Amino acid sequence: MAKELPGYGTINVPKERQVPFGAVTKAPVCTQQLFITSNWRVVRPVKDDEKCTRCLICYMSCPDACWIFKEEEDVMEWVSDFCKGCQICINECPSDALTAVPELDFPDGVVRLDKPF
Amino acid sequence: MAKVHEITVWARGVIMDKEGRDVINIFAEAAKMEGKHVQAFDNYEDLPDRVLVTVRKYVRLSDEEIEHKYVYGNDQPEVVVVIEATIVKGIDVLLGMKKGGTLIINTNRSIDSMLKFIPNANLLATIATVDADGITGVRTIDFSGSEGGVDTSGIGKGIAAPIVGAMAKVTGMIKKENLAKVVSDVSGMERGYKEVKIKKLG
Ligand code: SF4
Ligand code: SF4
Repeated sequence: MAKELPGYGTINVPKERQVPFGAVTKAPVCTQQLFITSNWRVVRPVKDDEKCTRCLICYMSCPDACWIFKEEEDVMEWVSDFCKGCQICINECPSDALTAVPELDFPDGVVRLDKPF
Repeated sequence: MAKVHEITVWARGVIMDKEGRDVINIFAEAAKMEGKHVQAFDNYEDLPDRVLVTVRKYVRLSDEEIEHKYVYGNDQPEVVVVIEATIVKGIDVLLGMKKGGTLIINTNRSIDSMLKFIPNANLLATIATVDADGITGVRTIDFSGSEGGVDTSGIGKGIAAPIVGAMAKVTGMIKKENLAKVVSDVSGMERGYKEVKIKKLG
């Protein structure tokens, strides 16, 4: 594709060498299985649905997008595979609906890996 | 070449990186006093500067000079020490261990409740727990000794002390008296030695 760029003149990149901005990567549809971080957790956030107002502040503040609003059921859903237990959501929740509970109190919920990634 | 004893220590990035490093340094230093050839080295491939990430630290002991240099990992650990108990739930800490190994965990939970999280516990001859956080309650967070820097904050001030005490008792590889010459918190180390709970597995 020949293209006129101010100051550079005409540049010509053959079709087979063209990549879109940011190169070609598959957009994560929902989860990235190569970056599971559940074994970083020492504690997990446990939600009290009575107290939760669905204000979505946890959804906004989680660095790993681990809170999903299920509209039909009107409930917040926690994504256990990727929550790394940073406790930001627990600190940010204005309704005191989230509590830190030791991960070892639960029999499962952590993806067991062979070695650290 | 004489047998090389491999000891792997699991800790978590930032919050326990220094304590994990102290464990390997103290253990190797004490073994050196007993005339052993030793190697102790920090993780090479893990991510110690990310909070909570699992990181490994390694010790090797031998009666003769250790010939495998430039290998930054223990493939067949005979002793595994877990400084933060939740790690056993999320990772196969016994990977590479031959049957008859030893696992030491820093926790106040019971040995049986920990065994539930270890599907390959049949590799173990001994499992032990020590409540290092209950004994000292101190975790030194300091980066001065990582990445080749000089450690300025002293070694064995926090939970590393009771953990090495427990390691001496369980493994018998080093003497408590020599540990006392290396650790800052000698009473914490002695309590770890005394209070470690040990269970022999069949
Ligand atoms: S921040 Fe708290 S109250 Fe708001 S949606 Fe999340 S859990 Fe519910
Ligand atoms: S603890 Fe951290 S990673 Fe887990 S859901 Fe809360 S904000 Fe997200």
